[in-house]
Amino acid sequence: MTITVGDRPSSSDPANRAQFDKKVADFEKANPDIRLDPAETIWDATTFQAQVAGGQLPDVLSVPFTEPQGLIARKQVADLTEALKGDGLLDELNPNVLRIAQDQAGKVYAVPTAAYSIGLIYNRDLFTKAGLDPDKPPATWDEVRAAAKQIAAKTGQAGYAQMTTNNTGGWMFTTQTYAFGGTIENAEGTKATFDDAPSKAALQTLHDMKWTDKSMGQSVLYDYDGIQKAFAAGKIGMYMGAPDMYRSIVQTNGLKASAFGIGPMPQQGGDHGTLTGGSVQVVSPNATDAEKAAAIKWIKFAYLNKYVSQDAAVTSAKNAVAAKQPVGVPGLPVIASGQWATYQSWIKPHVNVPLENFAPYTTVAADQKIIPEPPVKAQEVYAALDPVVQTVLGNEKADIAALLTKAAATVDAKLGR
Amino acid sequence: MPTATTAPATGVPAGSRGAGVRRRARWATLRRARHGVPALVFALPVLIVFLLFSWGPVVRGLVMSLQKTNLVDPVLWVGLENFRYVLQDPLVGQATLNTLWFTLLALLFGFPVPVLLAMFLSELRGRSWLYTTLAYLPVIMPPVVAILLWRFFYDPSSSGLFNSILGVFGLGPFPWLDSPSSAMPSIVLEATWAGAGNAVIIYLAALTSVRADLYEAAELDGAGIVRRIWHVMLPHLRGVLLLMLLLQVVGTMQLFTEPLLFTGGGPQNSTVTILLLIYNYAFVNGDYGAATALSVLLALALAALSAAFQLATRRWSTE
Repeated sequence: MTITVGDRPSSSDPANRAQFDKKVADFEKANPDIRLDPAETIWDATTFQAQVAGGQLPDVLSVPFTEPQGLIARKQVADLTEALKGDGLLDELNPNVLRIAQDQAGKVYAVPTAAYSIGLIYNRDLFTKAGLDPDKPPATWDEVRAAAKQIAAKTGQAGYAQMTTNNTGGWMFTTQTYAFGGTIENAEGTKATFDDAPSKAALQTLHDMKWTDKSMGQSVLYDYDGIQKAFAAGKIGMYMGAPDMYRSIVQTNGLKASAFGIGPMPQQGGDHGTLTGGSVQVVSPNATDAEKAAAIKWIKFAYLNKYVSQDAAVTSAKNAVAAKQPVGVPGLPVIASGQWATYQSWIKPHVNVPLENFAPYTTVAADQKIIPEPPVKAQEVYAALDPVVQTVLGNEKADIAALLTKAAATVDAKLGR
Repeated sequence: MPTATTAPATGVPAGSRGAGVRRRARWATLRRARHGVPALVFALPVLIVFLLFSWGPVVRGLVMSLQKTNLVDPVLWVGLENFRYVLQDPLVGQATLNTLWFTLLALLFGFPVPVLLAMFLSELRGRSWLYTTLAYLPVIMPPVVAILLWRFFYDPSSSGLFNSILGVFGLGPFPWLDSPSSAMPSIVLEATWAGAGNAVIIYLAALTSVRADLYEAAELDGAGIVRRIWHVMLPHLRGVLLLMLLLQVVGTMQLFTEPLLFTGGGPQNSTVTILLLIYNYAFVNGDYGAATALSVLLALALAALSAAFQLATRRWSTE
C-alpha cells in the first residue's frame, strides 16, 4: 500500500529535506508493507480548498489549530476515531489538547503534534530601558497598561501593539476576551456571545491605551508577519503571541535572543485562561480504513516518536541543532504530562534557546487553563471582528457597544448559514 | 474616403441581382466551407484547450453559483439562495462602494499620468530609450515585492520613509494606510506607479505611428507643444485612449493584490474590494456558492458596462 504524505521541505531547504527523507526511508524500513510518497504540499489557506476540490490532497497533512473545526464541519477530513483506538494512540495524547480536533460528539478528526498557548511576548531590552523588570512581565491587563505607558514614555517606541488584519484582529480579540473572562460563541456554535461586559472591557482597555495613554504608536494595521518584523526591529514593547514565534522573530528577523521575552497571558478580574494554537495532522477524507491506519503509523513515527523514545528525541534534537533550528522552545504537551517531562530531560543537553527567557511563560503556562477557538466558523467570526478592533484603534470616538452589537448580528447571520 | 467603392458590396442585397448570382454565392459558401475543414482540424486542439481551460471554469462557476458545495460531499442545488445571501451581506455594498471609489480615483489620477508621460517621452529627442526604460521599470518589479516596499514607505510613524521626507517640510506625519480616509488613495498612488509603465509603452507605440510630416507641418505653422498635443497627438491616440479607458475600468474593478497585501481590507473595511471579498468567501470561509455568486454578479456588471461603453463611444472612436 502506498500513502502520500505532505510537508516534505522544499529543495531550497536541503538540511530539513534530508532529515525528512531519512525519516521516510526509516519508516519504510520499519514498515515494509507501507510505501510512502512524500509531497512538498504544505497547508496554505489559498491553495488548500483547490487541492481538496481537485482530489490533490496528500493522505497526511499538517494544518494549524485554527482549521480542524472548519474542516470537520465541511467534512473535508477523515474521521480517525477508530484508527486511533486501534493503534492505542488515543490514550497517550493530552486530552486537553485533543479537544481541538474533536467534534461535538467526541469523534476525533486529527492528531495534535505541536501545541502552544498565547502569552505576552515582550522586548527585554525595552523593559530594561524603561526601568521595568525584564524577569517580571505584567500579569494583569492593568499592569500591561502601566508597563506600556512607561515604555512609550521612556523609549519613544510603542509600549504595546496588537495584530488587526487578515483575521488576526478577531483572533487576538478572542484571546483577549477569554482573558477578561468572556466567550465568543455559545457552546453549540449557534450564536455570538461577545456582545457583553468582558469584550467591552477588553476593547475599552485597548482604546484607553491607544487614545488616553498614547502608548500604542501610530500603526493600526499589523498582521502576523508585520508585527513580528516591527517587534524584531525594536519598535514594539509587548504584544500577544505564542512562544513558537521565537523562531521567526530571532532567526528570521534578527532580534537578538537575549532581548526576546515571553510571559503568560495577562488576565483581568480572575484566572480565566488563554487561547491555544498549534498544529494537527489531518488525513484525506478519501482514505480507506487501511490507509487511515497507515497514516496514523506515519504520524506517530514522524511527529510523536521523539516524545516516547529517547533515541528519537536525541537524534531529532541533534539534527535540529545541525540545521540551525531552535531546540527547546517551550510549548504545551501534546502527550500526557509525565512523558512530556521525561522528553524535556532527554533533550536538555541540546537546547539552544535561552530557556530562562521563557521561564515566566513556562512556570505559569502548564497550569493556565487553555480555551479552544470558537467552535463554528472561527475564521469568518474573526473576519467580522477585525474591523471592530481596527475601529477602536483608529477612531478615538468609536462606540464600542454599538460596534459589538453590529458585529454580533453579522456573526449570527454567518452562524445560521 | 473610399465609401463609394465599398458601398455596393455591402449595401446591395444579393437577391436583387437574380438567381445566377445567388447560385454562385452558394457555391462560394460551399467552397469556403470545404476549405474550412482542414483549417478546423488544425484549430481543433487549440479550440478544445480553449474551451476546456478558458470556458470550462466559467461554466463551472455559473453552475456552482447555484449550488451549496464543499467540493467533497454531493452538491446541493439551492437555486438563487447564494445570490440572496451575497446581496444581503452588508460587506458587499461596502466593497462595491470601495471598488467604485478606487476606480474613480484611478481614473482621475492613474489615467492621465501615463498619457502625459508618453507624450513627454515622445517629445524627447536623445536617449529616449533610457527614459522609456525608467518609465517601464516599476512594471518589471513583482507586485508582491513592490507592495512590501511601499508598505515600508508608508510607515505611519514619523520615522517612516515618506513621513520623514515630508517632515523636512514640516508636514505630517500622515497615517497613509492606517486611516480609513487615506488608505484607498494611498493604494491608488502605488497602483499608478506600478501600472503606468505598461500604459506608457502602449501610448508610445501609438504615437510612433504618427507621421513625422504632420509634426513638421504643425511646427512650420508655428504650433507649440500644447497645440501639437491637442491637434496632432490626441487625435491619433483617440482609439487607443478609449480602449485603455475600458481596460482600466475593467481592470480597476478587479483590484485585489494591493488591498490583500497592504491592508487586508482594513482599516475598518475601507479597502475591502469585491475581488477581495470573493477571495475571502472562497478561500477563507470555504463558501464557494457565495464566492461564485458574487463573481457572476461582478462579471454581469462588467459585461454590461463594457457593452454600454462600446455603444456610447462607437461613433466617437470611428469618426
